[in-house]
Amino acid sequence: MSTEITDSLTIIRAGRDVSFFDLYSIDQVSLTDFGLIFALARGFREAKTAKLTLCKGHTQVNCFFEPSTRTQASFDLSAKHLGMDTTSVSGSSSSAKKGESYIDTVETLDSYNTRILIVRSSEAGVPEVASRYVNASIINAGDGWHEHPTQALLDALTMLDHFGTTDLNGRVVVIVGDIMHSRVFGSLVRILKKLGATIKVAAPATFLSAGVEQFGLTAFYNIEEALIGADVVYALRVQEERGASGFIPTLREYSKTFGISEARLNLAKFDAILMHPGPVIRDIDVHSALVSRHPQSRILAQVENGMAVRKALLWLLADRIDGKVKTCKRM
Amino acid sequence: MNTVLIKNGRVVDPKNKVDGICDIYVVEGKVAKVGIGLIVTADTVIDATGLVVTPGLIDLQVHFREPGREDRETILTGSRAALKGGVTSVVTMPNSTPAADNQSVIEFVIKRAREVGLINIYPTGTITKGQAGGTLSEMRELKTSGAVAVTDDGSDVQDPNLLRRAMEYAKTHDVLIMSHCETNTLTDHGVMHEGFVSTQLGLPGTPEVSEDLAVEKNIILAQKTGARLHLLHNSTKGAMSAIARAKASGAQNITAEVSVQHFALTDTECHGYNTQAKMYPPLRSQDHVDAIIEAIKAGTIDALTTDHAPHIEPDKLLPFVDAAFGSVGLETSFAVMNTYLVEAGHIDLATGIALMTHKPAAIIEIEKGSLEVGADADISIFDVDKEWVVDPKEFESKGKNCVFTDKTLIGKTKHVIIGGVVKMIDEVIIGS
Repeated sequence: MSTEITDSLTIIRAGRDVSFFDLYSIDQVSLTDFGLIFALARGFREAKTAKLTLCKGHTQVNCFFEPSTRTQASFDLSAKHLGMDTTSVSGSSSSAKKGESYIDTVETLDSYNTRILIVRSSEAGVPEVASRYVNASIINAGDGWHEHPTQALLDALTMLDHFGTTDLNGRVVVIVGDIMHSRVFGSLVRILKKLGATIKVAAPATFLSAGVEQFGLTAFYNIEEALIGADVVYALRVQEERGASGFIPTLREYSKTFGISEARLNLAKFDAILMHPGPVIRDIDVHSALVSRHPQSRILAQVENGMAVRKALLWLLADRIDGKVKTCKRM
Repeated sequence: MNTVLIKNGRVVDPKNKVDGICDIYVVEGKVAKVGIGLIVTADTVIDATGLVVTPGLIDLQVHFREPGREDRETILTGSRAALKGGVTSVVTMPNSTPAADNQSVIEFVIKRAREVGLINIYPTGTITKGQAGGTLSEMRELKTSGAVAVTDDGSDVQDPNLLRRAMEYAKTHDVLIMSHCETNTLTDHGVMHEGFVSTQLGLPGTPEVSEDLAVEKNIILAQKTGARLHLLHNSTKGAMSAIARAKASGAQNITAEVSVQHFALTDTECHGYNTQAKMYPPLRSQDHVDAIIEAIKAGTIDALTTDHAPHIEPDKLLPFVDAAFGSVGLETSFAVMNTYLVEAGHIDLATGIALMTHKPAAIIEIEKGSLEVGADADISIFDVDKEWVVDPKEFESKGKNCVFTDKTLIGKTKHVIIGGVVKMIDEVIIGS
């Protein structure tokens, strides 16, 4: 069974590699890369939990400077399904805590001959800077308010599968909520732009970061106006723990003005889909009835696609066919 | 009798409106003769053919970290860095450990400066005790100990009422107030200029209004109280227009500086999470840079400074949000001015030199910054055409944190004379 899966994935891969060694920003990913990642992700999705040996002998360290449950579990299971040995470390990337620089930490982890380092941090830029100091391939699992690239990959896969297309030209995606403090938005806006979508955001002005229109989007204060004609409604969580507190008077008023209700969803196209990166604050971001079982909701499909996309990426980074190796500053 | 002859250089002495090839003869620490083809004998003769000879540069804002953080910089290493940049006089900020909020620290700095004996060091005291923004420092005593101004640089006096009292009290004793303009509640957790670049990087931004509002507050209070106010490191369009308005209304008691990095670089330097580009005020967007250059051309700005801020490497190896603020600048400031203002065609060399010599001297009321007969013989000699790539490993400063790292600059210091004594010859520091 696993041999057949391996064979079919090998056929899909067709000797190809991605153009990057680390993934800290969607800016690094080309359209060709997207095609390869998504094709493989669909293959891995088919394979479900099959135990494969594609990355056997390699080690992955999940380096979570900021606590996570879902993303860490997704990366860890993905690696294990590919045959990798994994371990996880937690801690803080601020040296004030124990006197060691986060760069010392990743260099130490790298010295275990680690092949893949998954890095999450509450400070923007930590995965990108760390990638210059290690031989391992770093995948950004979320850094501060900056990016969460694998989330964007799984979101794009979810959209493309729904529309049955290879790009998002002519599709209208409306992103609602706390734009400013959202790493999910940071990666999503970049991937949507690359795939040709028309992007709208709806949020109170306090949630819009400076110059956000320069990404190439239109901002709305009125959610109803934004939702008319939408193909995708993407709700973000109001991230109180990242400083949202004080940006809106109350969650109650936010829910009334920007929460996604059935009536609001109906303003979008009849076949529009509803997405959310999780965890959903039910009845605040999204009305409870819409969350998982509503026919237009893709929230659980997103989670499944997350595993598939991560497996594709891990295989591509851990096992390069062209034999090229990353060169880092430390060498 | 110690004598030095500087031959055949292009002397640029803006205060005396001199710009031409001539010789300078120095006797016993003073300029004795200035003229073409002087025929004199001298102990030391410096051939300045093809070089530019200026009054020694004066920098109104540097951090030498001594006492307290000698791992970052000392009065010795800071002085050597200044010499490399052709800077012969500096004003040191009082945020040492302990802070210069009492006469002991001021006297210590003056004593160390004398022992080191390389450049002229003018300390400042604090506006408030411990720079805590709570109670006023003993400004009269700070002044009589040798402080040329008081400042809480590194932070601003947030309480407008306390700032008003500080200005009234400073006026009583004719003490100059230097203000670092920032509104803490608006800066919030900001670590770089708020704009599209901070949005791209996902970093908390410092809005320009944080500075604008503080500049307006300081100017209004200085106009009401009549205190002498010098505005440190201005970086916004709003600050430029506020300063221009104050000057147009006839305010004689208000002066303002720009730190050279703020007209040379923009917030795009922060890309890649480059912590060397993290500083306060932050490097701003191009529209602010344009406004600063226009203000310099219009004569609104009185001085160019460095805000020389040395740090140890670990403090810059942190995540961007946690890394230390500041960049060293003493060894690059002349070259930055020359490259980004003169070579870029915005101003002529004499205008730039004026902002680094007699104009800052007037702000702190010292008799320096010019080369007329009888003046102190503080003289810097530059090769204004020399291109070089900034490599902090070559710096005299302990701080290797430099935002100009790897950039190509035009103009390098060759020789420096202070008080008639040659301190640097052919880029080599002598006598220390």
